[in-house]
Amino acid sequence: MPDKEIDRALKLVANLAIDKASQVLSKMVKAGARIDVENVALVDITEATEKIMRTEEGEVVGAFVDLIGDMPFKFLFYVDAQDSLTLTDLILRRELGTSKKFDLYVTSSVQELGNILASAVTNVFATDFQIKMRPSPPRVVHDYTSTVFGEYIMEAAADQNEILMIESQFKVVRMNIKCRMFLLPQGDAQKELSTLLGKV
Amino acid sequence: MAKRIIVVDDAPIIRLMIKDILTECGGYEVVAEGSTGKEACELYKQHKPDLVTMDIVMPEMDGIQALEEILKGDPNAKIVMVTAIDQREALMKAVRLGATDYIVKPFEAERVMSAVQKALGEETKK
Amino acid sequence: MAVEVSVGMADFKIGKDGDVLSTVLGSCIGLCLFSARHKAGGLLHIMMPAAGEAATRPDCKKAKYADTGVPEMIRAMKVAYGVQPQDLIAKMFGGAKVLKEVERNIGQENAVAIQAMLREYGIPIKAHKYGGERGYRIKAVTDTARVQCQVFGNPPEEF
Repeated sequence: MPDKEIDRALKLVANLAIDKASQVLSKMVKAGARIDVENVALVDITEATEKIMRTEEGEVVGAFVDLIGDMPFKFLFYVDAQDSLTLTDLILRRELGTSKKFDLYVTSSVQELGNILASAVTNVFATDFQIKMRPSPPRVVHDYTSTVFGEYIMEAAADQNEILMIESQFKVVRMNIKCRMFLLPQGDAQKELSTLLGKV
Repeated sequence: MAKRIIVVDDAPIIRLMIKDILTECGGYEVVAEGSTGKEACELYKQHKPDLVTMDIVMPEMDGIQALEEILKGDPNAKIVMVTAIDQREALMKAVRLGATDYIVKPFEAERVMSAVQKALGEETKK
Repeated sequence: MAVEVSVGMADFKIGKDGDVLSTVLGSCIGLCLFSARHKAGGLLHIMMPAAGEAATRPDCKKAKYADTGVPEMIRAMKVAYGVQPQDLIAKMFGGAKVLKEVERNIGQENAVAIQAMLREYGIPIKAHKYGGERGYRIKAVTDTARVQCQVFGNPPEEF
């Protein structure tokens, strides 16, 4: 269980990162992106995956990014597969309904959203906390929601039964599109964050 | 005569967006597209464009390494970095290494055009 | 009355008389065990082949690992329904390599480990589908021992 210091530090960073991410998402799709959920919590891997299977199972297109540097994190952004078609039209300023197939541009739109959102998070770390980080090139997967989420937590879940997760849900307001974003601190990232924030 | 541009980004959607912006403005021809720093270097040697737009985060070879490689072969190469990394140190490093300018994603069409035109020494087209 | 239950990662659920046990898989393996005699079944969502040192920890999630999860589920079915290992048949699904860049093929390792455990118990594998690069969605019907399996992007199949 994280102690109060780490929890507070992570919540502070999470608020700033998620806020920045929603701003860049809005700019990218030229539509308001509201933060619907913002949560920093220790989650049981079984409960977390079972909940997704029970309440939001479907098909998503997801972008996996490793945030590499002083404080490694794993980042995941995913959107409902059908909504990814709408997002592509929004990004390309096309008439809605133009994108009909999961082609190169649709997977690439999620890839680039993953890149931009992950970069927004690293930008917050660098600018506000002087913590150097950069994103890896995103890997895109179009699959069942639970498959995508399961692969995301796999590495952390291999060693732990509970994982500390920063979770947010955005809603692109005009379109009622829901996107989810997750951040998983890796290794000693939690302790290092608290130490670094203590010095700032 | 149209200015010859190479667009490099691992996301096809970004390459399409930049190409559309340049096409709409007129006077530019995208002669090649690359998705890695390695491809950027090979395409530069092959096409000798007037300008390159270069992503930073890419697989195989990142944009900073490609920038250095291209400038080694052609110190006059005009390379505009296009990146989601909005960190002063990283961007200043790119400029110190020889990048002509940088554009931060998500970008507006006007920003792309002003960076391209400035890099090519052109007057800003309306 | 029959119920449908989702099985999360590193967990198992058992049921009987038409209960439906379902899960979604990537590199994990979904092991279904059925007893026709008891109209009962179980679904185990396995993440890793072996518990190793983790098995000694008090908070060990036994269902996470093939070598501890399989005995746990068999034990649970015995306690709840009186099922013996010789009553059981197995059906296995999953083990995809969803993230191609990852070097380790954990799906394949899981499949091999589970097959070894089932051999130890003498439980025959009556059906299986694993591998590939796409997720699996499975629904196991406890009384008929039928499993509906749908690999992402493909039509559902009955096993």
